[in-house]
Amino acid sequence: METLLQQVINGLSLGSVYALIAVGYSLVYSILLFSNFAHGGFLVIGGYICYYTLAAVGNNIWIASLLALLGAGVSAVLVERVAYKPIRERTNVTLYLLIASMGMSIVIENIFVVTVGGRFRALPPVIPTNPVNVFGLATTSAFDILSLMMAIFFLSGLQLFLSKTKWGLAIRAASYDLRTAGLMGVNVNQLISIVFFVAGLLAAVGGIFLSVRYTLYPQLGLITIKAFVAAVIGGLGSLPGAVVGSLILGLAEMLTAGFISSQMRDIVVFGMLVLTLLWRPTGLFGKHVAEKV
Amino acid sequence: MSGYLEGIIILICINSIAAMGVSLLTGFTGIFTLGHAGYMAIGAYTAAILTVRHHVPWLVAVLAAGTLAMVIAYLIGVPTLKLMGDYFAIASIGLGETIRLILENWQSFTRGARGFPGIANYTTLPVAAAFFLGMLILMRFLINGNYGRAFKACRDDFVAASLLGFKTAHYRVLSLAISGFYCGIAGGLMAGFLTYLQPIMFDMQKSTELTAVVVFGGLGSLSGSIIGTAVLGIVTEVFRPISQYRMLIYGAIMVIIMVARPEGIMGQHEIGPKLLRSLFSRKTVNEVDGTHG
Repeated sequence: METLLQQVINGLSLGSVYALIAVGYSLVYSILLFSNFAHGGFLVIGGYICYYTLAAVGNNIWIASLLALLGAGVSAVLVERVAYKPIRERTNVTLYLLIASMGMSIVIENIFVVTVGGRFRALPPVIPTNPVNVFGLATTSAFDILSLMMAIFFLSGLQLFLSKTKWGLAIRAASYDLRTAGLMGVNVNQLISIVFFVAGLLAAVGGIFLSVRYTLYPQLGLITIKAFVAAVIGGLGSLPGAVVGSLILGLAEMLTAGFISSQMRDIVVFGMLVLTLLWRPTGLFGKHVAEKV
Repeated sequence: MSGYLEGIIILICINSIAAMGVSLLTGFTGIFTLGHAGYMAIGAYTAAILTVRHHVPWLVAVLAAGTLAMVIAYLIGVPTLKLMGDYFAIASIGLGETIRLILENWQSFTRGARGFPGIANYTTLPVAAAFFLGMLILMRFLINGNYGRAFKACRDDFVAASLLGFKTAHYRVLSLAISGFYCGIAGGLMAGFLTYLQPIMFDMQKSTELTAVVVFGGLGSLSGSIIGTAVLGIVTEVFRPISQYRMLIYGAIMVIIMVARPEGIMGQHEIGPKLLRSLFSRKTVNEVDGTHG
C-alpha cells in the first residue's frame, strides 16, 4: 500500500513534467498543425543555460531558471524564424515543416555535443531532494512535490494567459483557423512567435526538472518522445488532453517500474499509445476532423 | 576495387532497398512513417538467427526475413492504418521503438543489447547489387501498374479515390506490407554485411534517416529516393574525418533542403526520357501533399 501511494506520487510528478512539455508541443500543433520534433531541443537549451548560469552566479536558482526560461523561449522563436517561417510562407504542406523540425532537433542536439561534449552533468543541489513524509502515509522526495507544484503553477498561468488576455484570445482563434484569424486582423507572424516563446518557456521548466531527475546530457531531448505520445493519447492540439495524457503516462510508467520491471516501462508506454489510438483514433480529447469532399 | 569503396557501395545498395520501401509508403501512398527501422530490425534478426542457429542457406534466410517483416507489417497495418496523418506518424514511432525494445529485452532469443555476433559475411557486392536491381525492377513494375495507380490515388485524394471504388483501406495496408518486405530484405542483407547486430542500430535515428532520404530525393520519385540515399551515404563518408561535426552537418542539410527546395532533389520526376522532355517543355509541377493522405 505504501509503495503504491509512493509510486502514484512519483508518477504524478513525472507526468506533470511531461505535461509541461506536451502542452507546449500541443499548442504549436494546434496553430501550425505539425509535430515540432525540435521541441526536445528547447528543453535541452533550457537545461544547459540553467547549468552554466548556476556555475557563473553561484547557485542562485531564481536567476538561473529565469535566464533558462527566457533563453529557451527566445531560441524557440529563433528556430521558428530561421527554419519554419520560410517554409510555411511558401507552402501549406506540413510534412516539410516536420522534416525541417527533425533536422533542427538533430542540429540543436549536436551543437551541444560539439561545444560542451556529450558527458552527463548533474545540476548542483539547488532543488531540495530530501525525503518528505506525506501525511504519515508514504515517503517521497521533496523534489517530486516541488515539480508537481511548479507544473500546476505554470499550467494555471498558461490557462490564465489563454483565457484572460487579448493574445490568448488570438491564439484560441488561430487554433480554430489560422487563416481566418489572419484575415480578422491578427498579426499572424507575431502570434506564432508568441506561441513558440511560450512553448519554449514551458519546455525549459520541464528541462530543468528533468535534468535534476536524470542528469543533463545533449540527448535528454529524446525524452520528449514520451511527451509527444502523451499529447497524442490526449488528442493532438488539445491542451487539457495533453495534461491528462501526460498524467496517465507518468502514472503508467512509475507503476510499471514499481511493480513489474523498470525495463518494461517504455514498452508499456508505447503499448498504451497504440491501444488508445485503436480505441479512439484521435486520442481521448481529440477533435474528430471530418474529411471535406 | 578497394574494400572500403566496396563497403560504401554495398551499404548504399542496402539502404536504397529500404528507402524504396519507404518511398512506396510515404512518396506514393502518402503515409508518413517514422518507424521503418523496426522492420529492418525484424529482417536482420530473422536472417541472423536462421543462418547462425538453424544453418538455413542465406538466400532462403533473406527471403524469409523479408516475408516475416511483411507479415508483421500487415498485421500491424490492419488496425493502425485507420489513423490519419500525424497520429499514424507518432504511432509508427511507438511501433518501431516497441520492436527495438522487444529485441533488446528478449535476451534468450536475441542476446539483447550485447549484440548478435558471428553471422556469415554473405552480402558481397554482386549479391547486394543483384538484390538492388531486382527490387528496383519489381518496384517499377508495381508503381507503374494498376496497384501503383491505386496507391497514388489514395495519396492524392483519399475521399475521391474511395468514391471511385478503390478500397483505400486495403491499398494502404498493402502498401505498408510491401514496404515492410523491402525493409525486411534490406535488414537481412544488412545482417550479412555487418556480420554483427545490435538492436540500437535500428533506433529512431535510423527510421528518421530512411524517411529523410525519401523526402530529400523527392516524394513520389523512386529514382529520387535512390539518389537521396546515395548522396546521404557519400556525404556521411566525406565528413567521417570530422565525425564530431558530422551529425550537425547532417541536421543542417535537412533543414536547408527543406527551406531551399522542399520538393526534394527530383520533385516528382523520374530519371528517363520523360524528365528530359519535361525539362525542355518547362511545365509547372504540382506539389505533393504527403501528410494528410
